Amino acid sequence: MKFGRSWLPAHIFAWLYMVLLVVPLYYLLVSAFKTNDQIFGSPFSLPTSFSTTNFTESFSSAHLGPAILNSMLVTALALVLTLVLAIPAAFAIARTEGRLGALVERVFSLGFLVPTFAALFPTFLLAAATGLFHTRAFMVLFLPATAMPLSVVILVQFMRTIPREMEEAARMDGASTFAVLRHVYTPMCMPGIATILLLNFLTFWNEYLYSLVIIGPDPDLRTVQVALPTLKSLTGTDYGILTAGTVLTLVPVWVVYTVLQKRMQQALVSGAVKM
Amino acid sequence: MTMLSSAPGGASVRGPVTPPPSASVTKRRTQGGVILAVPALVWYLVFMVGPLVAIFVIAALHWPGMLQPVSFAGTGNISTVLDDPVFWDAVQNTAVQLVVAVPLMIVGAYMLGYYVAQKPPGHRVLRYLLFIPGLISTPAKAMVFYAVLSPDGLLNGALDKVGLGSLTDAWLASPSTALASLILLDVWSGIGFTAVLFAARLGSVPDEIGEAAQLDGAGHWRAMWRIHFPVIRDFVGVVTMLQFLWTLFGSAQNVLLLTQGGPGSSSTTLSFLVYQKAFIAADLGYSQTVGVVLFLVGLAGLLTIRRVFRQNY
Repeated sequence: MKFGRSWLPAHIFAWLYMVLLVVPLYYLLVSAFKTNDQIFGSPFSLPTSFSTTNFTESFSSAHLGPAILNSMLVTALALVLTLVLAIPAAFAIARTEGRLGALVERVFSLGFLVPTFAALFPTFLLAAATGLFHTRAFMVLFLPATAMPLSVVILVQFMRTIPREMEEAARMDGASTFAVLRHVYTPMCMPGIATILLLNFLTFWNEYLYSLVIIGPDPDLRTVQVALPTLKSLTGTDYGILTAGTVLTLVPVWVVYTVLQKRMQQALVSGAVKM
Repeated sequence: MTMLSSAPGGASVRGPVTPPPSASVTKRRTQGGVILAVPALVWYLVFMVGPLVAIFVIAALHWPGMLQPVSFAGTGNISTVLDDPVFWDAVQNTAVQLVVAVPLMIVGAYMLGYYVAQKPPGHRVLRYLLFIPGLISTPAKAMVFYAVLSPDGLLNGALDKVGLGSLTDAWLASPSTALASLILLDVWSGIGFTAVLFAARLGSVPDEIGEAAQLDGAGHWRAMWRIHFPVIRDFVGVVTMLQFLWTLFGSAQNVLLLTQGGPGSSSTTLSFLVYQKAFIAADLGYSQTVGVVLFLVGLAGLLTIRRVFRQNY
């Protein structure tokens, strides 16, 4: 494709949007190293020093340390549980022909219609009824359920591409259903597993409203997304500390993105396509 | 929801390739079959379908507070909700939000995605940056915008710098700009991420299609809307549905973090009203009645969008 003169408006608009995108992020990053006076006085200038006081301050005043650990714990356990539930389910659907398999698959894809947000209050009641209100355990149990429709649908599509001869050969060698799942299907759909891991990592790590209501504001239990907004009121409005805290919560996701850039984009794209 | 589950594959994942079943194989493959799907199914029914059903049940209850006695309200909540001017403000705000944000996002993102997909100079940088808002959590985005839009934030600072100091405003605290600021945040973060989705899908459209159009003398504007757009039409439909749902259901978080629905009810959206009535006003029947409304609006929107974007050639 040639980029002649007629493309000029397109170049301009695309890069203009890029500026709109980057300026707030730049502001976020440089403000994290400044004091309030410097932020108001010269919002665009580079920081004069790379002192980390804002970071340590936000870390201690919002108790971000335990919050980051809580987020990691909830995210990791929920991810494991998601795989434990979704892999066998996808396996069963992919290899079951006929009406029952199709029905189960349909039930899962109807899950895209459930507005998880509107169900916040009933979910809160469920947490209270099971005695798991104000615990991280409930989130570990709950998050995989929300991830189930998309994870199952993506994994089913990967598993359907595995030739059935693979299973027949394994069966011939006397493999049980579980052995077929463990030694044939799981290794062969690693790309699909990576996709749902990345996709769900982002959703679980970034989850806010449910964590706010279910886990609650206890500094020892809350996740980093719940802890972050408290910086707004805790520090009055010290934008330096607020932005430093925000940067801290973005680091894990940003590191994963930069390392696995292509993979992550593919994961999110296929996630959206399957929805 | 056939369309939702059978949408065409993106750049990385192709659609399902199901070989035709043969009778003998079918029998063997069913062995040990669907039982493995039971745990996942149970999980999903308990944590997602159960609460969904509960929305409808609670909507029919008079439940004025967490520890208050519960009684059957019949259609009482519906008339309370319909008589409440705040509800109608929320309907209006949500309508404005959907009508402004979704088309702006889809058209902007499609054009940007098309641009990136043509691999112009610097497209790798573009792709990397465009994706970043998709990674940032709602609270983090809200904190960035809180810093940008606050009275002594970036935007007012910039306006002062360029001599437009008279235009400065307390953007999030003024009734005329609070909702607009929330919409701006949605569009700002939505366009880039959605553009990456479009770029990925357009990347899998065969090059020959674009080349043939060029030979026929189509300009790039024509190629973009008349050639490529129809090819990925159903994908546009899927993305529109997603953005519609995210905007409809997801706005509660931004509202809660940035304006709390205020000033007055100028930025109260339907999904925030569900939250506010349940967890702040403790009027649970009211809250879940709005939840039902939200569900129905979502469903109606999905069906409409699906019809509009149906392949029709």
